[in-house]
Amino acid sequence: MLPVEDLAPADEFYGRLFQLAPEVRPMFTREMGLQAKKFSDMLAWVIGHLEHPEELSKELRALGSRHRDYGVEIDQYAPVGSALIWMFQHTLGDRFTSDMEDAWLEAYAFISAEMERGSREEPPTRASR
Amino acid sequence: MGNLASPLSTAVVNRHVNEALSSPLFRKAERQARFLRFVVNAALQSPGATVKEFDIGIAVYDRRADYDPRTDPIVRVEAARLRARLREYYEGTPPDRMRIDIPKGQYVPLFIPVEGEPSHLSSELSILLPPFRCLSPDPGDQTFCDGLTEEVLHKLAQNPRLRVITHSVAAWLEERGGPKPRYLLEASVRRSGAEVRVALHLTELIGRGSTGFSNIYQATIKDIFATQERLADEILGDLSAALHIGNTGSESIH
Repeated sequence: MLPVEDLAPADEFYGRLFQLAPEVRPMFTREMGLQAKKFSDMLAWVIGHLEHPEELSKELRALGSRHRDYGVEIDQYAPVGSALIWMFQHTLGDRFTSDMEDAWLEAYAFISAEMERGSREEPPTRASR
Repeated sequence: MGNLASPLSTAVVNRHVNEALSSPLFRKAERQARFLRFVVNAALQSPGATVKEFDIGIAVYDRRADYDPRTDPIVRVEAARLRARLREYYEGTPPDRMRIDIPKGQYVPLFIPVEGEPSHLSSELSILLPPFRCLSPDPGDQTFCDGLTEEVLHKLAQNPRLRVITHSVAAWLEERGGPKPRYLLEASVRRSGAEVRVALHLTELIGRGSTGFSNIYQATIKDIFATQERLADEILGDLSAALHIGNTGSESIH
C-alpha cells in the first residue's frame, strides 16, 4: 500500500517522530536519507513476514535488543507508533480507512511487544540477518 | 457497561491493579501504567460512564487543550499496546480473583471475576483449624481443649508444606474475598475421670468435600502438658501420613 521505493513517507515519519519526541533525535546518528531507506526496508520486510510470525518475532526481538542498546526506553515506543499511524494517515488520506488503522494498531502492538521482549532478553550472540 | 454488574469490590480491583503495576512488565512502562490507573479510577468512580480518548490524551499523555485525537493517534496506539501488555501479564501471572479487559473500541475497563480454583492457598495444603470442641461439662476441661488446639496448631505450623489457618484468619480472609483453605480439621474432646478421648475429622473442602481422614485418640491424663503434647504428636503423625507429607514437627509417626 506504500511504495517502498518512495522515501517521502519515511521522511514524514521521522519528521513527525522528532516533533512528538525531540529527545530521541540524538539517537539517530546515521544520515537521515539512509535512515529513511532502512526504515522503509524494515517496514516492507515486516509486512512481507506477517504470515511468518516465528521469523518475524525472532527478528523483532533482535531489533528490540539493539534498540535497548541505543538507549530506547519503553515509553518511547508510544510516539513511534503514533508517528507511524500519522504517516499512513498523512500519506494515504482517505484511503487509510478505520479498518486499516485498526489493523496497523494491532500490528504495531505486536511489533512493539516483541521488541520489548527482545529488550528484556540477553543480547543475541549474532542476529540472524 | 460490565462494571455496573461487577461483583468485585473497589478494594479488590485496586489491589489487583496495584499488583499488576508493580510487576516488571508495567514498572518500566510508566505511561501505560498511568493509562491503566486512569481508566480504572474513572470506571470505579463513575460506573457506567464513558472514558474519552481526549481525556486520556490530556491526563496521561500531556496533550494540550487543542489536542485533536483524529490527527494524533497516541491514545489509540497506546490502548492497543496496553491490551497486549495486559494479555502478556496474564499469560505470565494467571489471574487470581479477577482480570481486567479493555475491549476494543472503548476505554472503559471491564473487571471480570475469574472462576475456578481461585488462589495459591487452595492449591497448597492449607488447613483451617477451628478451636477443638469441648464436650465435657466441666469448665476446666475447656482449658485442656484450648491447650490441645494450641499444641496441634503449633506442631502443624512447623511443617513448611502446610499452611495452617486459624478461625479468626479464615474470617478475615472471607471478609476480604480471600482464598479458601483446602482442608478443615475438626476435633472434639471428651473426658471421664483421668481418661480423655479426642475425635478428629479431616475434611477436604475443595472438590468432593469428603472426609479425608478420621480417628479417635485416647490418653490418660497424668501431666496436662505432657498429655497434650503426646496427643498432638499422634495427630500430627497421622495427618502427615494422610496428606502424604513429611513430619518435620515431631519425632513420632504411627
